[in-house]
Amino acid sequence: MALRMWASSTVNALRISCVSNSHLSPAFSLSRCFSTVLDGLKYASSHEWVKHEGPVATIGITDHAQDHLGEVVFVELPEPGGSVSKGGSFGAVESVKATSDVNSPISGEVVEVNSKLSESPGLINSSPYEEGWMIKVKPSSPSDLESLMGPKEYTKFCEEEDAAH
Amino acid sequence: MFRCECFDMYKDVVPYSVAWSWQKSIVKERQALMERNEDCSDTLIILQHHPVYTLGTASSEENLNFDIKDAPYSVYRTERGGEVTYHGPGQLVMYPIINLRYHKMDLHWYLRTLEEVVIRVLSSMFSIKASRLEGFTGVWVGDQKLAAIGIRVSKWIAYHGLALNVTTDLTPFQRIVPCGIRNRQVGSIKGLLGEPRYSNGNGTEDIYTDACQLMDITHNSLLKEFFEIFKFTLHHRSTSDLKFQEEEPSSLLTGKHS
Repeated sequence: MALRMWASSTVNALRISCVSNSHLSPAFSLSRCFSTVLDGLKYASSHEWVKHEGPVATIGITDHAQDHLGEVVFVELPEPGGSVSKGGSFGAVESVKATSDVNSPISGEVVEVNSKLSESPGLINSSPYEEGWMIKVKPSSPSDLESLMGPKEYTKFCEEEDAAH
Repeated sequence: MFRCECFDMYKDVVPYSVAWSWQKSIVKERQALMERNEDCSDTLIILQHHPVYTLGTASSEENLNFDIKDAPYSVYRTERGGEVTYHGPGQLVMYPIINLRYHKMDLHWYLRTLEEVVIRVLSSMFSIKASRLEGFTGVWVGDQKLAAIGIRVSKWIAYHGLALNVTTDLTPFQRIVPCGIRNRQVGSIKGLLGEPRYSNGNGTEDIYTDACQLMDITHNSLLKEFFEIFKFTLHHRSTSDLKFQEEEPSSLLTGKHS
């Protein structure tokens, strides 16, 4: 508990919100204990993020998600031109002999996919919010974004989810 | 303790496509129940398959030592993780359909726990010291892999599973690079124990007398360890309750059906 309070005050000072990965024992280095949650993005409870800029929304999985998955060895993405629907699966990531669905937080048309991920799936681990972006979508329903979580809400959601397990 | 319903078909040899369809329909049902907060039981299917090769999402066809057009058995590309493997009679296949939200939302933990089930079976029943090989999911005895694992997770419901070679004929593994690992072998419990010797009156006892008994012993121990490790209460279900869903035609890579 004391560790978390120290951590929160430190990260508030750094102006980045953090969540703790409670499945790691305290003996691990501190730099591995926190996942990053960025301001300016929206978040789904299935651990995807959305960055809405003008007519296009970029989607990927969060730092919390990539940390739980481990090293990503393969990414399955849709074709541009296809459509995605809110809460529906649009692709998958494979890590440690487990392939997991990735779900779209919003509905719309896929306008671009990150082709770098087929050669370098590890970008999802090393840069989940930037170079590890997965798809770009033209949103079909602006209200989809409103029902997503903001950074503070998502941080709390991750803490509660980790604490419960 | 959490509830787990068990469809126990360990003596049955089931076509891969049928078992795959059962899993998908159970996962779909569980996800619908989860939306309504009514999901209250995990599931385990245990069975044997007719000879079949299966590929995972990232699997390379280069790990097949045959031309797909001329495959010795059916080849399916599935949605699980992991590379190519073979399933066939004499191999016990477990398909746990587990909502990780009720256990630990941690894929590493789940895979290590599945390995632990098999490690305990081998140790307690056969005094075989099995281990993990870092970086290579599965259960190993020396450089022989006895159990392969590959799973799929959808909204934290894990399915596909684990295959343990008991009395499996291992020759079909020679037609592939199993799990994409070139310089190691595949083994079976029968291969490690050797053929049963008949009692010579010196009081030495065989662990098993025939293949069926070996399957029975292994099956019983797998269930016991599985239910203990996951802290499940076991509820047997009738296999007539399993539903078949039409498979996507593109998942079968060869002309044959098994």
